Amino acid sequence: MRARTTSGGSALDRRAEPRRLLAAEERILTKDTCEAIARRVFALARGGGETFVQIGSWTRGELRWARNRVSLASDRRDVEIGIRRFIPSAGEGDVTTNQFDDESLEAAVRAAERMAASAHAPVRPTPGLPPQPVGTWPKTAIWSDSTYTMSADTRGEIARSLIDPAEAKGYLSAGYIEMHAGTSMRVSSERPAGPYAVVDVPYVQWTQAQCSMTVRDQQGAGSGWAGLSSYDWQSIDPASLGARALQKCEASRSPVVLEPGRYTVILEPQAVADLMRVIVGSMRRIDAESGGGPWALAMDDALRIGDSPVWRTKLGLKVIDERITIDHDPADPRLGILPEPWMEPVTFFDKGVLTNLFYARDYALASLSRNAPRRGMWGYRMSGGTTSVDEMIASTQRGLLVTRFSDIRELDAGTLLSTGLTRDGLWLVEHGKISKAVKNLRFTESPLFMLNSIEQLGVPVPVFRPVRDAYEQQIPLTPAIVPPLKARDFSFTSTIDAI
Amino acid sequence: MLITRRSLLHSGLKVGVATAAVAALPRPLLAQLGRTLEPLPPIEDPRLKALTARALEAARSAGASYADVRLTHERVRVFSVSTRVDDSESMLAGVRALVDGYWGFASSPVWSPDEMARLAREAVHQAKTNTLGKPRAVDLAPTPVVAEGHWEMPLAIDPFETSPFEISDFLDSLIVYLNRTPNAKINSDSCTAVVQERAFASTLGSYCTQRCYRTAGAFSFERELEHGQRGSTYLDCLTAAGMGWELYTAERIPRVRDHTLYEEIDRALEELKQDLLLPVKAVEVGRYQAVFDPVTVAGILDETIGRATELDRALGYEANAGGTSYLNDPIAMLGSYQAGAPTLTVTAERSEAGAVGTVKWDDEGVAPDAFPLVKNGVLADFQTTRESARWLEAAYTKHGIPMRSHGCAAAPSAVFAPLQHTPNLTLAPGHDARDFDSLVSGIVRGIAVKSGSVDLDFQHSSGLGSGRLYEVKQGKRVARLAGGFLFRATDLWKSLQALGGEGGLRRYGLSAMKGEPAQEHYHSVTAPAAVVKDLTIIDPLRKA
Repeated sequence: MRARTTSGGSALDRRAEPRRLLAAEERILTKDTCEAIARRVFALARGGGETFVQIGSWTRGELRWARNRVSLASDRRDVEIGIRRFIPSAGEGDVTTNQFDDESLEAAVRAAERMAASAHAPVRPTPGLPPQPVGTWPKTAIWSDSTYTMSADTRGEIARSLIDPAEAKGYLSAGYIEMHAGTSMRVSSERPAGPYAVVDVPYVQWTQAQCSMTVRDQQGAGSGWAGLSSYDWQSIDPASLGARALQKCEASRSPVVLEPGRYTVILEPQAVADLMRVIVGSMRRIDAESGGGPWALAMDDALRIGDSPVWRTKLGLKVIDERITIDHDPADPRLGILPEPWMEPVTFFDKGVLTNLFYARDYALASLSRNAPRRGMWGYRMSGGTTSVDEMIASTQRGLLVTRFSDIRELDAGTLLSTGLTRDGLWLVEHGKISKAVKNLRFTESPLFMLNSIEQLGVPVPVFRPVRDAYEQQIPLTPAIVPPLKARDFSFTSTIDAI
Repeated sequence: MLITRRSLLHSGLKVGVATAAVAALPRPLLAQLGRTLEPLPPIEDPRLKALTARALEAARSAGASYADVRLTHERVRVFSVSTRVDDSESMLAGVRALVDGYWGFASSPVWSPDEMARLAREAVHQAKTNTLGKPRAVDLAPTPVVAEGHWEMPLAIDPFETSPFEISDFLDSLIVYLNRTPNAKINSDSCTAVVQERAFASTLGSYCTQRCYRTAGAFSFERELEHGQRGSTYLDCLTAAGMGWELYTAERIPRVRDHTLYEEIDRALEELKQDLLLPVKAVEVGRYQAVFDPVTVAGILDETIGRATELDRALGYEANAGGTSYLNDPIAMLGSYQAGAPTLTVTAERSEAGAVGTVKWDDEGVAPDAFPLVKNGVLADFQTTRESARWLEAAYTKHGIPMRSHGCAAAPSAVFAPLQHTPNLTLAPGHDARDFDSLVSGIVRGIAVKSGSVDLDFQHSSGLGSGRLYEVKQGKRVARLAGGFLFRATDLWKSLQALGGEGGLRRYGLSAMKGEPAQEHYHSVTAPAAVVKDLTIIDPLRKA
């Protein structure tokens, strides 16, 4: 079921579009409403120039529980209308409001114009660019009716079905189930020629669902977690997540202290994705060419831009294990990619060779004679193998099995050396078997080192990666499809107390 | 007619009112208080009470045993890189309902009687779906009814009544001032001002409205010396405060800065220069006596005591999100657990003028009190709301502490349900009038840490710290160290040897994330410099 559509006028006639508030039955804005808002804003502009509007709306159905009881169930929604007025002789001004009645929109447009007038100097985003080829947006379904229609009753039922087994065994469970749906649209009054028209995207509806659960024993001596996010609620199986969290809690109780040091690690897919996030943020081409980050190779004396030396990059060089290919495909719905002005499949690492770093359109025009940006690793797939986690365990003499990492922080931009913690299940593997639960450890390691020390790879799967996870602000979060893997000599530097 | 900066400035000079008009935001947001839409009135308008009453009635008749409703109208103005001003404005409404021990919540951006009723019914529906589960009890701690209250955070200069030209010109002047120093370069420069008007009503009969402000800035820069030494620093006196534009323009602000902002820039430039002239050394891993500056102490205090004494976190309510707490048995630990040295006393409150977590009433209509979290080294209490205060009843009875909410319910806006968030914290200073430098002068061989920040584990126990580390010999900082430090929360506070005096207290506005869905909340932490023994210094870049 798509969001309700209303009949909308096509003219720019202000009278044709009545003043209104968000209607009770309208959980997210329809295409007609968004287009009507944009037309209203364009018609309200005074003083010439260009008007750029971003319209977003969202609804969320949430259920949170802890200590085996639901602590809050909620239904929330909001709207965001961003208006940018660009007046060539003055400047540009931005105003955002969450109201779209006539008076609010007019006041917002006037305020944006005052802001434009108050700007220090006329600004124009990259003057004189050739028109950007019109983007072709893949018709990816990132909308799922099963997500949008998941009711509060359903969330309550699922929570009870996850709580009961944990409670029956005397454990404390906590968890979160969320349906999230929204719309977004960006449109310029000067489409397709204006400076802002290049970032136009059509109206799109999207959904995102997530379910996660933590099970702890009453004494706080064991903790297990499992979670998954997807645009499609149907692809999440809460029962299996609940069973996994419970099993991990049981198996992680009464951990022993293990000396820090280098260990062979078997990383479950969630742990791999947690660590890979550090790489996602490092992939900017302009950084590499100015000598920063892990992808700068050497200064090139023959190349200079103005006074600045240009560095040769590692593009084209084999930088990680040749079994690893990492790509991005906007048409893969599992990556939950919202439309961007320019979308195309990109391969970042091809059989271990660095093949692409991301850049903006300005850079492409100036340096590459290319009239389009290149997208970064926001939404990526990593290749894998066929070895199951059980087989990795069976073939390990001594190593550690890691559920996930937490609190990751990059320490050195040049090597991506990072530190972070293991969380919710860490076990020692000896002679092909899990021998005991281990107290959590702090690691100090680079994901690049990990990607060069791979022994075995499993089948790639989607992991818990809600697009907006406020707990991990430092490094951008992105949907990911990654394999479990086994790697050598992973460095753990201290034990921590937290369970 | 084209509006230009010049014409606006011109009219602004002639008529003061015009300047205010320039500053005015898109004020005519509409609310439906009666039958028709009308411009949104100020929060103290008595008709808003009728709007909230509609929600409470609807919640009651749908079956809620308790309900509350919040309206928020927020304006945000961001000045960045001296050239741009971004404004945003939102109005939101949220209704929370309690049915048989289960909470439901609903929120939206519409202020109208019909929407109030819909939100109330939805909140009750959300709660009821979970009453199908096993019984859950909520027994809200008693709180006095606020029959009719209005409060405005006191401030000297309302940033929304000040011309944005004046503000951006002042921000420019800081950069011009900085640029007088050769090879000094601005890295980031922004100022954010927020005003939030809030109305709260509950079925208890309380109704109160308030207007709260938050102003914060970023000003960081780098400097290169003659021989190529380069470094960067920032002004730590611009963190979020419950203040207006005076955060920038005041000559001095008690507990924030003793000098004008220009003098603060001079001081930071000079300090950076002295820093850069020190040699850089590799760390010798080991345990050292260490002096922390106030910002480092504030950060450590917040991440250890501040997070760990959130009662809901300690009991596992955040287990699936940010984590739990090393204070894992609150009832037994309250009144007996040794959290630190006897000199450690930490109080919490939401009433200090200028602090960013300050309110008259919290998001449950409770007037917050000042209460000790740690008294003479012993855990004395936890941060609570009306629901969670009751969880401590046994401990409160045992220790003769009155059972009440400490007023720690909060949320960023009415679109979020209230959650327990950290109030303002103050670490009681030492008796001697000593500051960071005088504490350093008393160290024979040790470490000094400035501008430190810490990452704690998900029980806020084991920490990793970083910042500007110095080797101290015979009371002097003699070298910069490329190092970090490791600590355990309780060991660190037990190893506290000295605290700076009252005059050296500094207040910082910090924010913390909590909950699912995640909420960000601001509070202030006030701390002096401190000396600890046996701090473990490491080389953070060294692998195993």
